[in-house]
Amino acid sequence: MSNATRKVCLLGDFAVGKTSLVGRFVRNTFSDKYLTTVGVKVDTREVALPAGNVKLVVWDIAGRSALDTLDKSYLRGASGLLLVCDGTREATFRSALYLQMQSKSLLGDVPAVMMVNKLDLADRWEVTPLMVNECRKTNPVFETSALTGDGVEAAFAALAEALPP
Amino acid sequence: MISEPGQQDSALSRLKALLLGDERARLAQHEIDLERLAARDDALADRLPELIERTRERDPERLAHALSEPVAEALGSAVERKRQLIVDLLFPVIGPGIRKAIAEAMRSLVGDLNRALEASLSGRGLRWRVESWRTGVPYPQVVLKHTLRYRIDHLFLIEAGSGLVIHRESAPELSDLDSDAVAGMLTAIQQFVRDSVGTEAATLDAASVGEHLLWVESGPRANLACFLRGVPTEALRIALRERLERIHERLDDPMQALRAGAADHGAYIASETNLARIDAEARAATESTAPRASPWPLRVIVLVALALLAAWWWRGYQWQREVATFRATLASWPGLVVQDVAGERWRGVRVRALVDPLADAPPRTIAADPPLPVAWDTRGYVSLDPPIVLRRATLALAPPAGVVLQLDGGTLRATGTAPPGWSASARERALLVPGIAAVDFAALAAAISPRELLERSLAPIRAMEVRFVRDTETVDGEAEVAALVAALRGAEQQARAQGLALQVRSYGSNDAAGGETINAALRDDRATWLALRLQAALPTLDVAAATGVPTDDPHVRLDARSVRVDVALKEVP
Ligand SMILES: Nc1nc2c(ncn2[C@@H]2O[C@H](COP(=O)(O)OP(=O)(O)OP(=O)(O)O)[C@@H](O)[C@H]2O)c(=O)[nH]1
Ligand SMILES: [Mg+2]
Repeated sequence: MSNATRKVCLLGDFAVGKTSLVGRFVRNTFSDKYLTTVGVKVDTREVALPAGNVKLVVWDIAGRSALDTLDKSYLRGASGLLLVCDGTREATFRSALYLQMQSKSLLGDVPAVMMVNKLDLADRWEVTPLMVNECRKTNPVFETSALTGDGVEAAFAALAEALPP
Repeated sequence: MISEPGQQDSALSRLKALLLGDERARLAQHEIDLERLAARDDALADRLPELIERTRERDPERLAHALSEPVAEALGSAVERKRQLIVDLLFPVIGPGIRKAIAEAMRSLVGDLNRALEASLSGRGLRWRVESWRTGVPYPQVVLKHTLRYRIDHLFLIEAGSGLVIHRESAPELSDLDSDAVAGMLTAIQQFVRDSVGTEAATLDAASVGEHLLWVESGPRANLACFLRGVPTEALRIALRERLERIHERLDDPMQALRAGAADHGAYIASETNLARIDAEARAATESTAPRASPWPLRVIVLVALALLAAWWWRGYQWQREVATFRATLASWPGLVVQDVAGERWRGVRVRALVDPLADAPPRTIAADPPLPVAWDTRGYVSLDPPIVLRRATLALAPPAGVVLQLDGGTLRATGTAPPGWSASARERALLVPGIAAVDFAALAAAISPRELLERSLAPIRAMEVRFVRDTETVDGEAEVAALVAALRGAEQQARAQGLALQVRSYGSNDAAGGETINAALRDDRATWLALRLQAALPTLDVAAATGVPTDDPHVRLDARSVRVDVALKEVP
């Protein structure tokens, strides 16, 4: 069993549910209270993969909109990215992609996974299947819900698998 | 899930076109502009020095800003290629820094010393001294052993950028701790501090986290984070720094080390981060900088203290003895009643006492070494101590020479010889002297006065006779007259010595034969004859013949033909 440890960062707009997704993934809990993250919150979880275990060190970075410049120092040494957007707000979808682009100057092409969150509110989604399909051409896309847990595990596992050895 | 790279690129550029169409067109335009500018400034190289000079004159700040980056890079490559030169150049700059570091180290040493000093004055310090004595471990080390109460719980070697843990050491028996999360957060905080202060040099060195003290040693590629409990010393900080430096010497690419997995880390990392070794090193360093006090000063101090204590005890004991002796002396001092003796060894004693005026003067000093003064606080009284009573009696009775007074349980005894007149009055007066209950003068002989003695010596003279055959014809010629003259001469001399004189009267006697008239004449003749003879021999003597003495006068005998003298003492007129 390998003890590989990998740093991954969550990037996304405000209140898209980054912290909630980490909470679901790491502690399997959810709260509907919104406490915006200041700076960074780091958590870890081990993921079992066919090739062996990998320990994900998850950096939950405070949300950024498309207009902000990304604080790149938090990204240093990251092996992968979790892009998060809120399905009910179309703008957050663009923010996520924009943040990914900004990250490239520091990280280059690292594996990334797009999580379109708040699947439980699918009836109010603004992110259209067309946009999702378009995005799938660059990143694997998962429709998730931190509230129900749908897609969360799969999204993290997919990223873990995609990480370079 | 992941698409092929080529496909991905084209997909990305399509997405970019979708999102950023306008911006891309503008970017292309800018690129063209840039190329044009580059071509125009080819000739610039020749004019560069001159241009720089001119710019400096006009806007020095802007130039400095523009040049800062390339100069920094140039410096970097110079350091790589001409290290010795740079070292030589930098030394004067680094020197003060080193001095400052030394000063800081000294300060921490002083701090340790102060701690030791403080401890040495407390009860705890005394306990440690005893421990040092018992175990033979030098005192400073004992102090350090007790004062360096810190413990390293966790040590993380953290990759500086990602905050991933390259290596981790934890003290045994500690509840597990998510080192990656902690290290990640720590790194995030470090980066946050750096971002908010705005300089690369700003690093978080220490923080307190719950019961832990967190020390961070930052390096360019990796950081050491140390979770401590207690009060660590500066030596630990130095030990951590040195280890981090050594790790940096060999850790060229920490990400590489990470990728390889923990098992493949060089063994050197594990050895450099070994907690027990770091701890031992730090403690040894602290101890070696602590002064190794020789045990001698302490021993000497203790010996001196013991000697002083013994001397003090001995002096106290001596003093007690001296005071006891002094008390005993006073107790047997006639005419003195001690009421209270208060004494201090350094100042002498104060005695409250009753003293008879006839007592010997009590001592003015106490026989200590050196003699100490005695302060007397006395009141008079009448003592019944036998020596004092005797003294008082002697004073009151004024016994003449030859009389010895003695006191025997309240009874005054006199021995020797005394004039009868004295003993009579003395007997009466003695009973008035306090302390005398009875008088016993039985053994006192009455004394004979010289006059009486002289008086008594006259009796044989009175018995002497000058005998006659008949009339005034002596029996043996002059012999009896000469004997009488000799006796009278001696007596006269003795009388004169006492201021007296002799009065001599001669009496004639006769035998029964003959008539009374004839006999009376005969007696007168004989008396006159002797008086004349004596006067002739002793001209100064008062001599006279007792003529016409009737026969019933005791001086006259009627049975012998003789003449005798009667001698009496008389005052010299
Ligand atoms: N219904 C629903 N609500 C969610 C879901 N995920 C998050 N939320 C809610 O969205 C709000 C924001 O969630 P956070 O996880 O704090 O969002 P964030 O992205 O961490 O926000 P920042 O830290 O400010 O960037 C909270 O009130 C959550 O309860 C979800 O899947 N479904
Ligand atoms: Mg958050």
